[in-house]
Amino acid sequence: MVKMLMAIPDRCTGCGRCEEACSFQHFNIIDPSLSAIHVVRLENEPLDAPTFCIECGLCAMPGVCPENAIYRDPNTFAVLIDRNKCDGCTNCIVVCPYGVITLDHIEKKAIKCDLCGGDPQCVKACPENALAYIEANDAAYYKRYFFAELQKKGMVPIVPYPSPRTKEVM
Amino acid sequence: MEEWFGYTGKILRVDLTKKKIVIDDLKREWAKLYIGGLGFAARLMWDEQEPKIDPLSPENLLIATAGPMSGTLAPGSGNIFWAFKSPQTYFWGETRSGGRFGPFLKFSGFDMIVIKGKSDEPLYLYLEGGKAELRKASHLWGLTVHQTSDILKREIGAKDISVATIGPAGENLIKYASIMNDYDRAAGRSGGGAVMGSKKLKAIVAAGGYGVKVYDPEKFLSLSYEAEEAIISDPGNRAMGAHGTVGGLMGLNAMGGLPTQNFRTGYFDKAYKISSDYLENNYMIKRRACYSCTIGCSRYSYVAAGKYATPPSEGPEYETTDMSGAMPMIGDMEVVIRYNYLANNYGIDTITLGHTISWAIEAYEMGLITDKDTGGLKLKWGDPDTFLALVDMIVYRKGFGDLLAEGSYWAAKKIGRGTEDLVNHVKGLEFPAHDPRVESKFLAIQYAVGPRGACHEHPIYPSYDMMGVDAGLREVGLPWPLPDRLEEIGVNRGKAYRVIALYGEVINSLGYCNFYAATKESGSLSPKRLAALYSSLTGIELTPLQIFEAGERSWNLKRAFNLREGLEKSHDTLPKRMVTPILSGPAKGLKVEKPKELIEEAYEGFGWDKETGYIKEETLRRLGLDDVADYLKKINKLR
Repeated sequence: MVKMLMAIPDRCTGCGRCEEACSFQHFNIIDPSLSAIHVVRLENEPLDAPTFCIECGLCAMPGVCPENAIYRDPNTFAVLIDRNKCDGCTNCIVVCPYGVITLDHIEKKAIKCDLCGGDPQCVKACPENALAYIEANDAAYYKRYFFAELQKKGMVPIVPYPSPRTKEVM
Repeated sequence: MEEWFGYTGKILRVDLTKKKIVIDDLKREWAKLYIGGLGFAARLMWDEQEPKIDPLSPENLLIATAGPMSGTLAPGSGNIFWAFKSPQTYFWGETRSGGRFGPFLKFSGFDMIVIKGKSDEPLYLYLEGGKAELRKASHLWGLTVHQTSDILKREIGAKDISVATIGPAGENLIKYASIMNDYDRAAGRSGGGAVMGSKKLKAIVAAGGYGVKVYDPEKFLSLSYEAEEAIISDPGNRAMGAHGTVGGLMGLNAMGGLPTQNFRTGYFDKAYKISSDYLENNYMIKRRACYSCTIGCSRYSYVAAGKYATPPSEGPEYETTDMSGAMPMIGDMEVVIRYNYLANNYGIDTITLGHTISWAIEAYEMGLITDKDTGGLKLKWGDPDTFLALVDMIVYRKGFGDLLAEGSYWAAKKIGRGTEDLVNHVKGLEFPAHDPRVESKFLAIQYAVGPRGACHEHPIYPSYDMMGVDAGLREVGLPWPLPDRLEEIGVNRGKAYRVIALYGEVINSLGYCNFYAATKESGSLSPKRLAALYSSLTGIELTPLQIFEAGERSWNLKRAFNLREGLEKSHDTLPKRMVTPILSGPAKGLKVEKPKELIEEAYEGFGWDKETGYIKEETLRRLGLDDVADYLKKINKLR
């Protein structure tokens, strides 16, 4: 079964070991700015959140990458960037809603999560179990909770629906 | 030129007087001899610092240094160390902080920064990708730590940066001002903030852009993960992560070792109100960790409403809690959190600050300080409002605060009248919240002979006899079993403390956090693990014993530095209170029975002269520090 990378942000302490492990895996040096996972931390607010690609595939849509360098791996379901073809045009960065595709400062080519071919190093490096690589059906269970949390914070309805008072379309 | 692994191989030299920046190469032979971190700093200070200068003069060097392990996957390596001549003690000053500044210094391409001179206008230093520049900071001067960090983040924009800065305390040259990084992480002790303030350097910004190379990636990764797994599995480390440093407060109180009422007693009846339980149930939002840390002892807390309402910030930890909770006998977690926030935001050392105020309260109570000195301010135990008001007065040197801004040691010297006897200090640095009379006699030795004065963490937290663990030190010669924690002489304490102290030096030189050295061998960064991780990262083969020898070098270099500054045996003396029995509580009556013999036994353990405290010539020659031996011989401070 296909697996999925999930985060439990409440557990994250912001230690950044996932960033170190990610850059080490892909570039053989330790430099968080080369990582595909980013821990967003605010010091004056209680925010430590690992942010990473959820493999939505927007960047792989036709017409985004002029070099056709972005494709989906059939095994891991990860959206991959062929860095040999990448010319650093930043189109994929524009369409990425989560800001998790970046240009590296060495070759000026796009970096994004490739799930390490099915063995994500960030999960291994996390001391708090804030990251998990789990089966899709289990992931769906947790996703519902995240979605519920989002709704609690005031989701805007995406589909117009009748208001109970006027029976008109809002 | 050979490639560096682990190290970046670059030293940044900044001359603030000439506003000049030079990037130097690291000497390759230094890696084997001094390892890095405070080891490098000790060598550099010995080589380049002029003796007997004023600590707040342009000649004083301010060194920021990260160890070779900093900024790697080795657990607990997210540290920054600062070294300078301390304005508090006039001897060796060193201080450590966690957060992410140390790793980001490496990610910016430097192992260490050496700052000298004094600028005529406020400046900040910007580091990125192996380059550095000085920028104007007039708009930041006078701002607090949080304000400065906020503005710098906004100014620099879309980059992950780490900011080390001083607050108003450092600018106003408060003797115990701290250098803050990442908002609430403090390199607090010894007065580094005052040194930075005297140079008119407001902040250092590290913006990354450089990658740390690894010699043997596969081996290093597997060793790191092995160490991570072992550390996480250890129950002691888990407790530290779950409850933080303040988790030990109730235990210390139960054994009578919670410093209370300016060390008069070791038992505080309101301890529960400042315990980790109380903090977690009422004020804590989440846990936090320094960079690359697998323990995560940092608390993140706030006070929602009321008189002591405080925005979310990191802390408090045990030292702060005791110094603002039990020492002034306030016993209110809300005050502790407020105090922690204020002190961090002003950039001042919470330990010396709370200790100094407690000293003032005791002296006032005994009638040694009068209303005339305080300007009409009434001091008493358990008065949170005066306590917090004094924090502001000290930072801005208002009224009575101007005197307390010197710290209890210098203030007592100024006032006299017997207030000196109430100061708990060694070499001018006030005691932290660990009582050597109760906890461990290793602590008594460390307070007395430690290069920076009375400190529970430099070089290491030494109460291995109390904790009943060895952290794998048996392998490098720790006598085992250790004596009972209260036994003093004739039980091999000197020999045992030598191994413990050198372990601390090694940890500080490699760039690790001391909390990774306080459990049994399986769950700590034991000498074996340290050596294996170091070799696979740097490609420099060192055995545990060789690493400890490097630690011994830095330990003796710091001693030599202090001797050059005029240290005598009399400076290694425990204050009067330590030989006075504890007044009440479970540890009533305990004291340090034979301080002189205890310290002399430690001298012998280090290979120092028993009568004078000077280093023996054979010790320095054995370590290959011939130039140091020759210099000390010339000034007649070698035996």
